[in-house]
Amino acid sequence: MISIKNLHASIEGKSILNGINLEVKAGEVHAIMGPNGSGKSTLSSVLAGNEDYEITDGSVDFMGEDLLEFSTEERARMGIFLAFQYPIEIPGVSNMNFLRTAINETRESKGEEPIAAKEFLAMVKEKSALVELDNSLLKRYVNEGFSGGEKKRNEIFQMAMLEPKLAILDETDSGLDIDALKIVSHGVNTLKTKDNATIVITHYQRLLDYIVPDFVHVLYKGKIVKSGTKELALELEEKGYDWIKEEINA
Amino acid sequence: MSSTLTQNKVEEFVSHIAENKLAVWNELPSIRKSGLEALEELDFPTTKNEYWKYSRTNRISKHAYKFNPLTDVNIDLDSVRIKGLDTYEVVIVNGFLNKELSNLPSKDCIELKSFEDCSTEELRSYFSQNLDTISNIFSALNTAYFTDGILIHAKGKCDKPVHLIHYSEGTETISQPRNIFIADKHAELSIIKSSLNKNTSNFFYNSVNEFFIGENSHMNYYVIQNYEEGINVVSTNVATQEKNSTFSAFNYTLKGDWIRNNTNVFVKGENCESNLYGAYQPTGKEHIDNHTIMDHLMPNCESNEHYKGTVGDKATGVFNGKVFVRKDAQKINAFQSNNNILLSDDATMNSKPELEIYADDVKCSHGSTSGQLDEEAIFYLQSRGLSKESATALLIGAFLGEVVEKIEIPELKEAVLEMYGME
Ligand SMILES: Nc1ncnc2c1ncn2[C@@H]1O[C@H](COP(=O)(O)OP(=O)(O)OP(=O)(O)O)[C@@H](O)[C@H]1O
Ligand SMILES: [Mg+2]
Repeated sequence: MISIKNLHASIEGKSILNGINLEVKAGEVHAIMGPNGSGKSTLSSVLAGNEDYEITDGSVDFMGEDLLEFSTEERARMGIFLAFQYPIEIPGVSNMNFLRTAINETRESKGEEPIAAKEFLAMVKEKSALVELDNSLLKRYVNEGFSGGEKKRNEIFQMAMLEPKLAILDETDSGLDIDALKIVSHGVNTLKTKDNATIVITHYQRLLDYIVPDFVHVLYKGKIVKSGTKELALELEEKGYDWIKEEINA
Repeated sequence: MSSTLTQNKVEEFVSHIAENKLAVWNELPSIRKSGLEALEELDFPTTKNEYWKYSRTNRISKHAYKFNPLTDVNIDLDSVRIKGLDTYEVVIVNGFLNKELSNLPSKDCIELKSFEDCSTEELRSYFSQNLDTISNIFSALNTAYFTDGILIHAKGKCDKPVHLIHYSEGTETISQPRNIFIADKHAELSIIKSSLNKNTSNFFYNSVNEFFIGENSHMNYYVIQNYEEGINVVSTNVATQEKNSTFSAFNYTLKGDWIRNNTNVFVKGENCESNLYGAYQPTGKEHIDNHTIMDHLMPNCESNEHYKGTVGDKATGVFNGKVFVRKDAQKINAFQSNNNILLSDDATMNSKPELEIYADDVKCSHGSTSGQLDEEAIFYLQSRGLSKESATALLIGAFLGEVVEKIEIPELKEAVLEMYGME
């Protein structure tokens, strides 16, 4: 589905990603872990098309296309979805209005008819139930005044509405209470098919009990320095990152 | 020396517009005379004049205009009608009231009359009572050569809003409508003013509206400016409020080559509420200028003023809001703010909020901000599949929406939101 090769990216002349290699196939779940500041969110932003970052080297192939050639909205319409680590508040723009516009523009780009009002509402009802997102929140402005956990649920709700091919969940678990963690994980698992893929970025093994990864990667100083199966996450939980840092710096 | 030169400019301007020998010139001679006399002393303002610092009137003064009371017109009134809203519709064509297209009720709650159907006494008790025609050439021009007008007299709680539709058409044509709005004691009235123009080039629309807000009355005045190209607009609104009254003026400028709005409110009674809301969004080379005066002469009143705008391309926005709190006006709450978003590097916004307070027990605040659209928000929306244009439009809508939400007539609010592409 996605094949990242030797990806380098920098911001304001500072190099953040230093040669990322990652291959994710349809039907797979990959977890990316790594110390604070190692470049996990940067990788997500770069894949979503944030132009603040300059790509200095490397390539990204997404379902046969050269992903880096496309704008943010084109990538979204191709099926890339990023659940932000810090979803921003957009006062004055209602959740429902913006989601309907998002769906319709995606449809239009594929030559499809806009979604019927009834169908849209039915979809909202179904998908919000999936992540148990209070319907009153949907009528409000995007994330404005939402609690931390509500913002994260709203991200997964949007993911459910947009049905992406590749979902990147950047620390979706942080800020969720134990029950919410189960609900959101259940949502993510329900949306999983053999045709889509998920990258979960997290600091905690706990999430991976619910969203079980096929592979776990450790990102450090802008590089994937270790990859393994879900047992790697358990090892990290127990030992932290020092042993990996030592391996690298040795 | 230079004064005779410029005097000739006004004289020349006037000689052209006075060429039309309109019957109305003989009406209300004493009132017109005050305007004519004022014109003898006045000059077209230059940008050295503080009040016109950012708006050049040369584009208006350099043309030779004629009046043109179009008789045979085909106006697409449906394009400005408000869906689902029943109104008393009044159609004014190039400054002349079109009685056939208008609905002029004479009821217990409201009376609408053309000036020619008013007695001189009736007119004289209101006309220019609010207005200082001496200092502003455009209101003096209107006072001397207004073509026609209507008097809207609310006597009670009005059953439906009045919808004024001003239609303009022609080349180097001038339109000088004059309207008087009166709310008697305890009356309630909403007025909506829409504009329509077709085949205009170097058209000059110069209107003056006077508002008399009586004791315990409530008047809302909604203006929607959505002009096609080829028209320059100077619109002057002057209101006086008596005690316990509420007056709200809403100004939504969607489109227009060159517009100058003057909205001045004088609060002459206690316990009044005054609201001034406005939104503008010039693009291209448009020039939109809003000047307001909020003058508190009496104690225990409140005023809220909020103007918001986005300025794109090479367009210019101007906001100048003066709030006066006079010596005897204690216990005043006066709020004013002007927020702007600049959408391009070539866009200009001149914002000048001014506060002059002569009383000591007052609560006032004023402020002005200019910023850019939130890039992070645009990225967020794009990452969900919205084009940059839609994302920008949504954010602009969200920004300007705050003052559109103030509209108190649901059908009108809906219609204006739709004009802005919001829902
Ligand atoms: N806009 C920016 N300007 C300057 N430095 C930046 C910018 N964005 C990211 N960085 C830097 O890049 C590095 C990687 O940041 P990033 O947010 O990708 O880390 P992360 O792995 O997601 O960390 P965390 O676990 O804390 O979320 C950090 O050192 C950060 O300060
Ligand atoms: Mg991060």
